[in-house]
Amino acid sequence: MKITLKINNQVYTTHIDADESLLDTLRKLGFKSVKKGCDTGTCGVCTVLKNGKPVLSCQILAARAEGHDITTVEGLGEKADEIVDAIVSEGADQCGYCGPSLVVTTYAMKQELKDPTIEKINQYLSGNLCRCSGYEGQLRGIKKYMGVK
Amino acid sequence: MRFEKLVKPGDLELAGQILKDDPYSVILGGYTFLRISDKKYSTAIDLSDLSLDYIKDNKTQIEIGSYTTLREIETSSTINRYWGNLLPRSLENLVGIQFRNNATIGGAICCRLGFSEIITALLVLDCELVFKEIGTVSLLDYISNRNIKHDILKKIILQKREGKSSYQAMRNSSTDLPILSVAVSDFDKISIAVGARPAIAGLSEKASRLINSDRSKIAETAELIAEEFNFGNDLRSSSEYRKKIASVLVKHALTEVLS
Repeated sequence: MKITLKINNQVYTTHIDADESLLDTLRKLGFKSVKKGCDTGTCGVCTVLKNGKPVLSCQILAARAEGHDITTVEGLGEKADEIVDAIVSEGADQCGYCGPSLVVTTYAMKQELKDPTIEKINQYLSGNLCRCSGYEGQLRGIKKYMGVK
Repeated sequence: MRFEKLVKPGDLELAGQILKDDPYSVILGGYTFLRISDKKYSTAIDLSDLSLDYIKDNKTQIEIGSYTTLREIETSSTINRYWGNLLPRSLENLVGIQFRNNATIGGAICCRLGFSEIITALLVLDCELVFKEIGTVSLLDYISNRNIKHDILKKIILQKREGKSSYQAMRNSSTDLPILSVAVSDFDKISIAVGARPAIAGLSEKASRLINSDRSKIAETAELIAEEFNFGNDLRSSSEYRKKIASVLVKHALTEVLS
């Protein structure tokens, strides 16, 4: 079937299988920052923003993404750089596999949490798993970005 | 899950007709748990265009559209005003925010999943489900009767109640599915539900009767819960462990509610 997606404010028209996930479509279109990890909705590395909210692209049908604004880390531009800088400043970039999804989720968290605390940050990021399990460094950087001591 | 065709009907009647005409069709909710099943369907029916995503505050009840996401329920100021914050507490540890931004209340109920935490919580509220064909049924009747299927859930109705509640769950890691979940409410009487046994949640009769007859019998009620329900084995836990945990969680929940 033919669909039209709005990704990072650009329109893409493509052919997909009816049961194709948004994750697979995004990767076919070249958005390789969106990783295929567990493919079961558990690990969070396929996170993108749908109308500004973080969602798992492996669990969204590409056909159901029509009519919505999809944002990947490529679409965040300088806003992503700020988060990346905060994470790198704490030596927490590690293997980088979970990095794009962590940046995207952190960006959404900044928009959503009006009064961030360490507890709220931990809860918000609980769906982002890091294979290197280096959460402490990541959290130090993200706390800095969120303005939480 | 695989399917050949995706349809997006513009009205409920058409959706119902497609479902009726094709026995191998399926209604999509958030497509979270359905996706990881190994079933094959001919037609997947997407109800996104039917405006079933809402939380309405009526005089005596709250109505939740079946396409409302679990995250919308968790963060709704309307929902947070009632039932002692029970629903948000039952959702806040489910996988991650990305997952809850997509999973719907309708999907969570209609999949009748054993580990469903929201079903455990809803069981201790006055919860009714409104379907297109069969009309209104209680949540308890729905989960007890597997013959109710191939229908479209339109909305969930919850009676507004003042009072205390408690939600307790035990899990092997913080965002894992629970090995056991317990919900207790105390509106005009105490209700106790136990879920993830790993069978679907059930509402206690015997233990609830005991605590309602004498509110000091917390320990005895907690012990009785372990006898009242059947507990099973799975990868997450043994039945023996679940049985012991059930008593502990019920004791914690009753203590919280009755304090």
